[in-house]
Order: sequence, then C-alpha cells, then structure tokens
Amino acid sequence: MTKSARSRIFAKIRHSSRGATAATIREELDSFGKAPAADLPTPDTATAFLANVLKNQGTVDCAANRTDAVRAVGQYLYQHYRTHRLVAGNDSRLAAMPWRDAGVLPRFGTAEGNEPAALSYARLGVAETGAVVTFTGKANPAANNLLAEHHIVLVNCEDLVGDMEEAWLRIRHEVDRDGRPRGINFIAGPSSTADIEGQLVYGAHGPRGWHVILLGYMPASALEDARALAAG
Amino acid sequence: MIEERSNPQGHTRQPTVALFVTCLADLFRPSVAFASIKLLERAGCSVIVPTQQTCCGQPAYNSGDYEATTPLAKQVIAMLEPADYVVVPSGSCAGMICHHYPRLLEGEWQQRARDLATRTYELTTFLADIAPLPRSKVKTAALPPVTYHDSCAGLRELDIREQPRRLLREVCGIEVNEMQQTDVCCGFGGTFCAKMPEISAKMASDKVHNAVATGARILTGGDLGCLLNLAGRARRLGETIEVRHVAELLSGDLAVPAIGEGN
Amino acid sequence: MEMHSQAFLENAREALGDPEKTRRRGLLAAFTPMVRNAAMESFGKFEPLRQHLRRVRQHTLDNLDHYLDRFEQEALSNGNHVHFAMDGEEMNRIVLEICQRHSARRIAKGKSMVTEETGLSRHLQGAGLNVTETDLGEYIIQQAGEPPSHIVGPALHKSAAEVRDLFLARHDLGERELEETSQLVQEARGVLRQRFLEADVGIIGANALVAENGYSMLVTNEGNGDLCANLPPVLIVCTTLERILPRAEDATAMMRLLVRSATGQPHTCYTSFYSGPRREQDTDGPIETHFVLLDDKRTDILASDYREMLQCIRCGACLNHCPIYAAAGGHAYGAVYMGPMGSVLTPLLTSLEESHLLPNACTSCGRCAEVCPSGIPLPDLLRDLRQAEQAAKLSPPRWRTGLKLHAWLARHPRLYHGLTALGIPLLHRLGRRRGSFSKLPLAGGWTSQRDFPAPQRKTFMQAYAGVLKAEKKRRRHD
Repeated sequence: MTKSARSRIFAKIRHSSRGATAATIREELDSFGKAPAADLPTPDTATAFLANVLKNQGTVDCAANRTDAVRAVGQYLYQHYRTHRLVAGNDSRLAAMPWRDAGVLPRFGTAEGNEPAALSYARLGVAETGAVVTFTGKANPAANNLLAEHHIVLVNCEDLVGDMEEAWLRIRHEVDRDGRPRGINFIAGPSSTADIEGQLVYGAHGPRGWHVILLGYMPASALEDARALAAG
Repeated sequence: MIEERSNPQGHTRQPTVALFVTCLADLFRPSVAFASIKLLERAGCSVIVPTQQTCCGQPAYNSGDYEATTPLAKQVIAMLEPADYVVVPSGSCAGMICHHYPRLLEGEWQQRARDLATRTYELTTFLADIAPLPRSKVKTAALPPVTYHDSCAGLRELDIREQPRRLLREVCGIEVNEMQQTDVCCGFGGTFCAKMPEISAKMASDKVHNAVATGARILTGGDLGCLLNLAGRARRLGETIEVRHVAELLSGDLAVPAIGEGN
Repeated sequence: MEMHSQAFLENAREALGDPEKTRRRGLLAAFTPMVRNAAMESFGKFEPLRQHLRRVRQHTLDNLDHYLDRFEQEALSNGNHVHFAMDGEEMNRIVLEICQRHSARRIAKGKSMVTEETGLSRHLQGAGLNVTETDLGEYIIQQAGEPPSHIVGPALHKSAAEVRDLFLARHDLGERELEETSQLVQEARGVLRQRFLEADVGIIGANALVAENGYSMLVTNEGNGDLCANLPPVLIVCTTLERILPRAEDATAMMRLLVRSATGQPHTCYTSFYSGPRREQDTDGPIETHFVLLDDKRTDILASDYREMLQCIRCGACLNHCPIYAAAGGHAYGAVYMGPMGSVLTPLLTSLEESHLLPNACTSCGRCAEVCPSGIPLPDLLRDLRQAEQAAKLSPPRWRTGLKLHAWLARHPRLYHGLTALGIPLLHRLGRRRGSFSKLPLAGGWTSQRDFPAPQRKTFMQAYAGVLKAEKKRRRHD
C-alpha cells in the first residue's frame, strides 16, 4: 500500500519537476548565496552571546577557568535549592572538572522525572540567537536538557560562533568526524508558553531556570556590557 | 516634478491629465471630481475628462469574473492612453489600473497596461510628488481637526501614506490627528460589505470608534468606497463625525454637505 | 462542537454575538501585529531574507523529486522507516499500525497541524489508544473537545477563567488554587509530565525536513515536542512533502522569519533536529523511528496555479493581521486552517463546493501578503479562487448576473450614463433631506448594517456635460 503511495507521489512530482541534473540543482542553490542573519548587538562575540542569553530570559555567569566554573555551578545550585544535587551526562569534560573545590559532585547519567538541576557542556554557543548547542548521546542525554527544574549549561568561549550559518559549519565538521548524532538541540531559554491568554509563563514542560556559564578568556567588561545591552 | 512636453510642432505645452473620475464619484459624489479638476488646474495641468468613462471593473474583477473584466479593462486603457498622465481620486481604482490590469491582461494588452501604469497616479500622490500643488492664495477658513483613513489599496499597492498628510498640512495648514490602527481595513472591500455585512460592520465600527477617539471633527480619506461605508456606519451608530473626501478638503470645497448628511 | 465552512457567515455572526470574546479577539488582533512588527524592525532584514527564502523554496519545489528522493535516502540511512501516504486516511492507518505493532496504549503527541488535517488523534482514540496532546494549547482544547482556533495558539480563544473551570472539571486533584495563569501552567505541567514518562509512542510534526542529512526540524517554546521525541521508545514524525528544504542552513534561515512572524520572538526556546533512532552508544532516545510523509493534495497543488501556497510555513502572521479573522474568530471557518492561508488551503484540500465562501472572506486589504514571510500573494490567490467559484457557478446567481450585467453596462457608456442619469437624480430627491437611507430595495446587504448615503444632485457626467455646454456658450458670446 505505502509502496504504491510512494510511486504515485514520485510520479506526480516528476511530472511538475524541471528534471534538472544534480549538478545543475546544486549550482542554482549555491548561486543564492548566504541568507541574511541578524546583526549582533555588539561586535564582541562573547558579549553579544551573553546579551542574547539574557534577552532569552536566561541567567549568566562567567568563569575564567574550570575551578571558577564549578564554583559558579555550586553557587547557582545553592542559591536556588540550598542543595548540591545535580545530574550530568557522561561527558569526559565534565568528569574532569575539579568538583571537590565547589563541594558539588554530580551524578553522572540520565535525568529522571523530578530532578532539581541538570548540567550540560555545550558543543557550541551561537551569538546571533543566544542559543547553546548540545548533541544527544551518552555525554548529554536529551532528558538532561528537558526534565530538570533548572538547566545549567557550560560553554567555552572558543566554542562561540557568530551566526547560525557558522554554527552549521562547526557542526558539519564534528559530524564528519564522529558521525551524525541522533539529535542536535539549539536551546535558547527556559521552557515557556503563552498559550493561555497570550501570557508568557516559564517552566511549561521543561526547565523553568536556564543558567549559562561562559568559560574562558573574554573582555573583562563582557558581563557588565551584556547586562547593559540586554536591559537597553 | 512634471515635465513640460513638446508637441509635434516642437512647442512646449502644459501636460494633459486625463481625470478618471471613478464610478462612485460619478454616481454619488460629483463634488470629488470637480474638486479634483480644480486642484489639477491649480497645479498647472490641462485637464481632460474622457466622457466615455464608466467604471474600472473592480466589482467584477474582485468577484473573480475575469472574463467580464477583461474587455472593460481594454476599453479603459484605450480611452486613457492618449493623455500624458492619468489621475484618479481613488487609491483602489488607481491600483486596479496600475497593478491589476497588467496582471489580468496578456500579450500586447499587458504591455499597454504596463505603459499606462507608469503614467497613472492617485490624486494626492500626483499633487504631492508629480505636479506639486501650490499653496492656496486664498486663505482657507481654519478647518476643524481631521483624521485620515488610509485605504488599503492606496496604502499597500501604491504606498500612499505621507502624501495626503503632507498636502493637508502644507495646503490647508492642518495636522492630521492619527487614529489607532490606521493600517487596518475599514471593512468595505467592494462587494464584501454586502456579502458579509456583519463582519464588515464590525470592522467599520472599529474604524469609526478609532476615528472618533482622536477628537477629530472630520474623517477624511482618498477612497469613496471606504468613505461611503464609514459614513453609512457612523450614521447608523449615531456618531456625528463628518466624512469627506480629501480632494474636497484640499480644494476648500466644504459648502456641500458631508457624505450621508442631509441638506 | 462541529462547524462547517458553508456556515461561515452564521458562525461569524454567532462569534460576534459574544461581546467579551469579541473584545478579546480585538485585543489579540492589536497586540500580535505589534510584537511581530517590533521584532521585524529590530531584525531589519525582513525583505532581503524573505526574497532569499522565496528563491530557496521555489527552487526546492521546482526540484522536489530530487530533494524528496535525497531526503528519503538519508532518512533511511539514518535508520528510520519511511512511509508515504496519499491521503489522511492512509497516514492514520500507517500510524495506527505502528502503534499496534508495538502494543502501544499511551501516545504523547506534539503539536502538528498535519495531524489535525488528518484527524489522527480521533482515529487513534477510536482504536482504543489513549492520546494526549502535550502542547499546552492543544491540551486545553483537547480537554474541551474543541478544534483549534488558531494554527499557532490553538486555545487563544479561551480565557484563563475558562481554562481554570476546565482543569477543575477534568483533573481530579482535589481543592487547590488556580487563580494565576502560572498556577494553571504548573498544574498542566504536572499532569503532562506523567504522560510523557508513561508514553509508549511519541508523535510529532516537523517544521522542516532537511534533504542533505535526513534530519527533521522541530521548533517549540514549551519543549513538549522534544519530550515526545526523546522519551518514548517509538517516535513517529508526521509531516507533508512540502516541508523539505535542501540544507540545514535553509531550515534555520527560515526560522529567523518563522518565529518573528509567529510570536515576535527572535527564535524559539527549542530548535531541535532529529535524525532517527538511538545510536549504539546512546543511553536514551527512541529505539524505533518512523517518518510518515503525507501528500494529501500537495502534489495536485504543486501542479496547479496555487503552487505558491506550498511555500507557507504556518507562522500564523496572516491570521494575526487579518481583520476578518479577528472579527469572525478561527472557529467560524469550520476548517483546520483558518484566516487568509486557511481560506486558500481549505478549498484546495477539501473542495470548493463545501468551502467556496471562505475565499470571499477577504476585502483584498493586502495586510496578509505584506507580512507573509513567504511572500505568498494571498489576496491574489483568494481572488483566483473566487474566479474558480464563479466558473463553477457556486456563487449566488443573483450576484453573478448582477456583476456581469454591471460590467456589460460599463462597456456601453451611452447606455450607462443614460440609465444613471435617470436613477441618480431620483435617488437624490428621495434621500436629500436625511442625506442617507436606512433602508433601500436591492441594497439589503448594505443597509442591514449601515445607512446608504444619498447621491448628490446629479451624476458627475450629467453635471459636467452642463458645465461644458455653458463654457461653449460663453466662448461663443466672447
């Protein structure tokens, strides 16, 4: 039955098709050039990224090194939960963090139904949208993005890209090396809904808190400038 | 800016403007056409009014009767082509000629439609951009505050927004009190208002209420279709705001009763 | 609540009869364009991006056989099952078979207009499956037993108070406070969380299918689609052929306009690409994944003059900007798709006979085409459908004959001017005192709602002939 649907559909489409060769099709597609992207609010990628995360109703922090990063995670947890419970994927980069310094020891695995907080190490951060990019897999089960009340995400400064087109260049590079992940997730804010009377409410199904910690070298004023940009 | 044309003998002459009166002005509001002639002459044009004109064909066209519209469109094109310019005191009829005739017609007629479209203007655009209307020498009596209804076809097909406001300011010395949601349709839509009267009435009521809320005493605009609809709805709602075509305001012709007003 | 397109006028009248709902529709109609415009203004590249995307989508539709074939190959090599369905019935059957093969009982469903189109949930429930709509808006209307009133915000016609009453009636959770919207959301979150965790099968739609790598793109703010896509052991993606785009970049470029057009956000919270079942080293994700690709007249539309309609990305901007949609409300259309895009699609997907009124629900105001991120000339397509209505003799004969007669008369100026020179002065005399008529024979459509302004003394042509004559006389005297 479905086979016949397939051949019927293809027959009908071929009838309306130009019948061009793959090379001609590719050439035409390439001739369209790059799509216009949104301008960054400021030339510095790190500042622009942080500003857009804030505009997405995320909270941000910066860390110069891994010790600062775990400390920032601990602080956020304590601030919201007075607890140090945390789940994180089996990410070798997360495993190698100096957790003892912050008094936090994540459970490495998959988030369950009612987890207070989950931690991800993003592959990329996209300044244009203020989004972090994660791949599903052992290092970051998709449930970790979705089931916890709070989602904390670490991003390296050197993994920031300007726009979505740059993001795909980087993703292609990783996919060519490691194969296609099951899922590629761009996350840009806490879960939200406006389905009742158009009123925006956070924590619809997924995390109600979304905290991004940018790790590495960035301008000293990045955080302050980002806050000013997001407020203005 | 208008260019003086050379006639075959090489003498420069005033440009001739054919006035396309529109069927609604012809039938319901001749004062709009007379005001238009006055304004065009004041702007230095030699105005002709082709007497064979009737309607641009929108009623049939918008109802999807392309077959009945096509010969009418050709007739209008043939009648108007000889003039240097065609001026229409209506955004929707001008839009019909400029946008929809070329879409409707094919081949040679499409070419002729396109050519005519390059020389066809809605009245306020023509007076603002092509043949600038000089300031009136006669001091017009101070007008009460007005608000302007942007007709959809004029606004979106012909980009008419600033032109009438500029003329009202510069020629009549009045500012327009802007209403909320100026870019939303008044619910006229040609046959729409009779086919779907309740929906149309809701849209017209919203428009009337927005106009009244500005405190303006006159609601003006460039399209009689919308204005007849709004005047009719305003009267039904018991609102006393006057409804007048912008050509009448610009020419200072306020002696005639407003649309839908008694003698 | 079953509504029909044939009853559009009655439905609209009924909707306008509820002042509170009409007021709320008006507020949304003022608010949604405002946020969309603000978003586009700060983006600043609406027109160039719209042109770019139009070229890409046009190119994709021109070469759809190539891209569909490519997508299928990539999706298969990603480990998916790929099914094709000619019509909604076939899609529903395929999905049910998959569910039954897995002995599934509980289905968690993401928001998908395609499955609204095929009536998938009803079909599965009819076979005894327990289907939960997980998008909050969809969940609300599922509980209320209503169809969506908007393609993006399906429950926007409901007030918070109505949602509260609904939840109190449908959720057996004892006494509790539900005054705030946030409390309502919180309650739905709790109820639905359990459904996600228990589901045997997840069903989602797709905002795009990427031909080069066989991924599907899903965008949500709630994250419900992602929960459906990741937690249950079986995932079924239901979508239509025209969602295909060549490259991943094209999908995210489209997002720039889609989200700004839909909600005024620069992007959604979750933009997710899914390729297939879990990989060998993965610890979560579905074990089996299916694509069901539906035609349902898309190939007919592709071959027709309405091809541009296949560029629609379902953002809902045309609904938000349509004053007729605002007045009548989404339910009045009696169709899955409503507003301008719906009035084009419904006749193409169902039949002109049952929905020919919808293309008439348009004043050609052009606001929809102005904001359409795909640049679809919606008023032109609606007018073309009215032509089809005319040709099929579906419009009222009185109107058809009247308009034909008017056009014929307009081609005979002497007769036209002669007749109007008789009628207009008469009408003037009858109406001059009051200035307008509150009732007029043959103009009932007009005068039912508004007065009919009386004409000035004569027709212009009559008066002008007089002016010309007087001028001639004067010249002769000079």
